[in-house]
Amino acid sequence: MSTRSRALTPALTAATALLATLAVAAALLALGGYPPGDAFAALFRGAFGTWDRFVSFTLVRATPLLLTGLAVALAFKARVWNIGAEGQLHAGALAAVAVAVALPGAPGLLVIPAALLAAAAAGALWASGPAAMKTGMGVGEVITTLLMNFVALFMAQFLVQGPLRESRGVFNQTDEIPAAAHLPDLIPGTRLHLGFLIGLLIAVALWLYLTRTPGGFRLRAVGASPRAAEVSGRFRAQPVVWLAFLASGAIAGLAGGVQVAGVTHRMYEGLSPGWGYTAIAVALLARLNPLAVVVTAIVFGALSAGGGAMQRDAGVPEVWVRGIEALVILAVLTVDRSWQALAGRGSRG
Amino acid sequence: MAGALRLSGVTRRFGPVTALDEVDFALAPGEIHGLLGENGAGKTTLARVAAGILAPDAGQVEIGGQPLGAGGVGGARSLGVSMVHQHFSLVPRFTGFDNVALFDAAAWTRRGMGSPGYRERVEARAEELGLEVQLDVPVGRMGVVERQRVEILKALMGETRVLLLDEPTAVLAPQEVEGLFAVLRQVARAGAGIVLVAHKLDEVLAAADRVTVLRRGRWVLTGEAAGVSARELAEAMVGAGVDGGGGGVGGGDAGGPGTVGGGGEDVPKSDGMVGEDAPKVGAAGAEQAPEPRAGDDVEVARLRAVTVSTGGPIPLRGVSMEVRRGEILGIAGVGGNGQRTLAAVLAGMRRPDSGEVQLPEEVGWIPQDRSEEGLVNEFTISENVALAVHGSDDYRQGPWLDWASVGETAAALVRDMDVRADSPATPAGVLSGGNQQKVVTGREFLRSGNLLVAESPTRGLDVKATIAVRARIAALARSAERPPGVVLISADLDEILELSDRIAVMVRGRLIPVPREDHNPTAIGELMLSARGDAAP
Repeated sequence: MSTRSRALTPALTAATALLATLAVAAALLALGGYPPGDAFAALFRGAFGTWDRFVSFTLVRATPLLLTGLAVALAFKARVWNIGAEGQLHAGALAAVAVAVALPGAPGLLVIPAALLAAAAAGALWASGPAAMKTGMGVGEVITTLLMNFVALFMAQFLVQGPLRESRGVFNQTDEIPAAAHLPDLIPGTRLHLGFLIGLLIAVALWLYLTRTPGGFRLRAVGASPRAAEVSGRFRAQPVVWLAFLASGAIAGLAGGVQVAGVTHRMYEGLSPGWGYTAIAVALLARLNPLAVVVTAIVFGALSAGGGAMQRDAGVPEVWVRGIEALVILAVLTVDRSWQALAGRGSRG
Repeated sequence: MAGALRLSGVTRRFGPVTALDEVDFALAPGEIHGLLGENGAGKTTLARVAAGILAPDAGQVEIGGQPLGAGGVGGARSLGVSMVHQHFSLVPRFTGFDNVALFDAAAWTRRGMGSPGYRERVEARAEELGLEVQLDVPVGRMGVVERQRVEILKALMGETRVLLLDEPTAVLAPQEVEGLFAVLRQVARAGAGIVLVAHKLDEVLAAADRVTVLRRGRWVLTGEAAGVSARELAEAMVGAGVDGGGGGVGGGDAGGPGTVGGGGEDVPKSDGMVGEDAPKVGAAGAEQAPEPRAGDDVEVARLRAVTVSTGGPIPLRGVSMEVRRGEILGIAGVGGNGQRTLAAVLAGMRRPDSGEVQLPEEVGWIPQDRSEEGLVNEFTISENVALAVHGSDDYRQGPWLDWASVGETAAALVRDMDVRADSPATPAGVLSGGNQQKVVTGREFLRSGNLLVAESPTRGLDVKATIAVRARIAALARSAERPPGVVLISADLDEILELSDRIAVMVRGRLIPVPREDHNPTAIGELMLSARGDAAP
C-alpha cells in the first residue's frame, strides 16, 4: 500500500462515518416527524451560527472532550484499554475543588496550578489501581477501569452530600471555589477559558511525544506488539504500560479539574454527562492521533452545543442529539472495520 | 478419474500484487506433490486458495471432482481438505489434546467436548502415524517442533482427501524430516493427495512423486520427481542460470561446508553491506570452514554451569560455553530442547537461576519468530530499525529521536541487504518472509559489535534469501576488523555444517560439544536424537 493511501485513509474514514451518520439521522428525524433540514439548520446555527456560539458553546463543551479524548487516545495507543476516563475525571474534579476550597486566600498563580496538579494526580491515582492489577496479576483493564468509574461516581455523590457539601446546606454541591481559583478567560468577552488552550498544548505535546521521542516510540511499539518490543526493542513493556495508565489517568483527571475551575466553579452530582465515554468515540474517530482529537472533540462539542439549539428552535428533543452521537460512534466503528477489512485483503500474501 | 484437487486458471490478487496468475494445478489421489518456488512466488497463496481460506479472483477450484465454489474453509474441510500452516493455527492456552479436539466434530457431543473414547482415538491415531505428541501440555509452552506435530495430528484426525503442508520441514532435524515423510507416505498410501510446500529441493525430490514450480505467481513446470534434477528445479525457481551456485542451491550435499561460498557470489547486488565498515561477502564466504584463527582468540561471551529451571517447560541444565571473536559456534538440535531459553540468556533477556554469565553490553539477536518477535508488522522498515537504535545517542538530537538518521540507516539497510521494498517507509507486514528476515538480520547486525545470536535465521526462506542471509552472517564473522562472535542456533544441519567453526548439540537442556572429526550429518544427527528417549532427570 502506498504511503499516500495510508495517510488518506483515516480522514476518509472519519468523513465517511460522519456522512453516513448524517444520512441515517436525517432519515430518523424525518420518520419522527421533524423536518431534517430545519433540525440540521438549527443544530448548525447553534454550534457555528455566531462567533460567540462557536467559542462560548462549541469550544467550551469541546474542552472536557478534548482532554478525555487525548487521555483515551494515549492509553489505546499503548494497547491499554482505559474505559475509566469518566471516573478519573470525577476524581480530578473532586481533588481540584478540595484543593481550591482549602486555599481560600491564595493568589491565582498559586491556587490554579495547585488545583490542576491535584486533579491530574487524583486521575493518575484513580488509574493506578487498574494498572497494578493488570501488570501484577493480569486482570483485564477493561473491566477494572470501568468498575472504578462507578466507585468514583458514588464517591463524588457521597462527598457532595456529606463532607464537602456547601456550607448553606441547600443543594448537593460543594461551596464555590474562590475567585482566584477560576481559570482566566482565553478570549475576552467569551466564556472560553484557559482549559481549552491547555488541551491544545497537551495535544501538540502528545503528538510530539508519540512521533518524535524515544519514549513515545516505545509506547507505540508496546501498543503494536509487546512481544516484539521486548525481544527486538530490548526493553520491558511493563513500565511503559504503567506510564500509559498513569499519564492517561492524569490527563482525564485534568479534564475534571479544568471543568470545575473553568466552568462550574464547584462540584456537584452529575458534573459530567458521560464525557469519559464519549471520549472513546472522540479518540477512535481521530484514529488515536492527538492532533486529530482536537478536530473530533470540536465535532462532538458542536453536536452538544447544537443540540440545545435544535431543541429550542426546531422542537427536536435533545435526546435525539445523544442518539446522533451514538450513531457517530457506530458509524465510526463499522466504517473503520470495513476499511481495515479492505486494507487487510491487500496486506498478506 | 477425478483428481484429489484441481485448480484451473486460478488468479488471486492482493491489492496491486498478483500473487497467482492463471495457475493450473492438479493433484492425484495418493500422490505427494512438491510445490516449489521462491518467497512470494505464490506457493502459500495457492495452498490457501485450495484450503478455501482465500477465494480466487478468477478460476476454479475442484476437490474430488466437486467445485469448491464459495464454500470457504468450512466447505473445503467438508470436502476433506486439511492444511498445516507455516505459522501454526493453534490455541496457545489449550493443551495439545484440546487443540486436536477443537476442530474435530467427532470430539463433540451435544453437551460439549468429551466424546467418550475420543482421547483413545487420538492416542491411537498418533501412534499409528508415529507422531510423538504431548497431549497434556499447553501448546503455548511447546517448541515449534512439538506444535507442528499437534498441527499435523489435528489435520489428520478426520477423513482427509487433500493434505496441504506449508513449509513443514523448515524446523526439523534430518531424522525428523525423514520421520515426517514416513508419516506423509503412509497418509498418501491411504489415498490422500498431499501438497508439500517447501524450499529445500533435495528434500522435496526425496519425498515427492511429482513437483510443480511457481515463479512470480505463474506456473513454470510440473514433472516427475524422478525425472528432474535439483539444478533444473533451482533454475526454474529463480528464472535464471544459477551458475556456480549449484552446491548452495542443492543444499543437501553431505559435504556441507563450503556451499555458502559458492552461493555467496550469486547473491544479486551483494557488493555493499550494512554500514561502512562491514565486510565483503565474496572472498570471505569462499573459505572452507576455516580453522579458528590465532589472534582472534578474544572471548566475547562466556557461560559457566548456567541453569534455568523456572518460567518455562524446557530448562537449561548446566550449560557452559564461550564464544570468541570471529568464530561461528553452531548449536544444532531438534527444536524445543532449550535453544530458545539459551538464546534469551545470551541476549541478556533472561537471568539464569544459577551459574555465571559474562556478556557484552549489546547483543545482536535474530529471534526465531520474525513476525511475532523480530518485527512489529504495522511499523515501517525505518521504525523497525529504530527498535534497535532508538536508545543510542547517535540517533538523538536533544530529547528527540532523529528520524532522519534512522531513515538513512534504514535506507542503507534496504540497499545493502537487498530488501525488495519501495522505500524504508514500507510497513514491514507487507514484505515477503525473506525480505522481512533481511530487515531483521540487517537490524541485528547493527547491535552485533561483539556478539550475534542467530536463531533459525533462514527458517522458511527461499533459496536466494537463504543464501543471502547465510552469506551475510558468514561475512560478518569473517570480517577483518573486530568481527563479532556468532552463535548460530539452528535445526537445519546443512546450515550448521556450512557455517560453523565449532559445533555443539543441544539435547534436553544440555549442551554437548561435537569433536571436529564428527562434523558430519550422521554423527551430529545421532547426537541430536541420542538422549531423547532418556527420562528427564
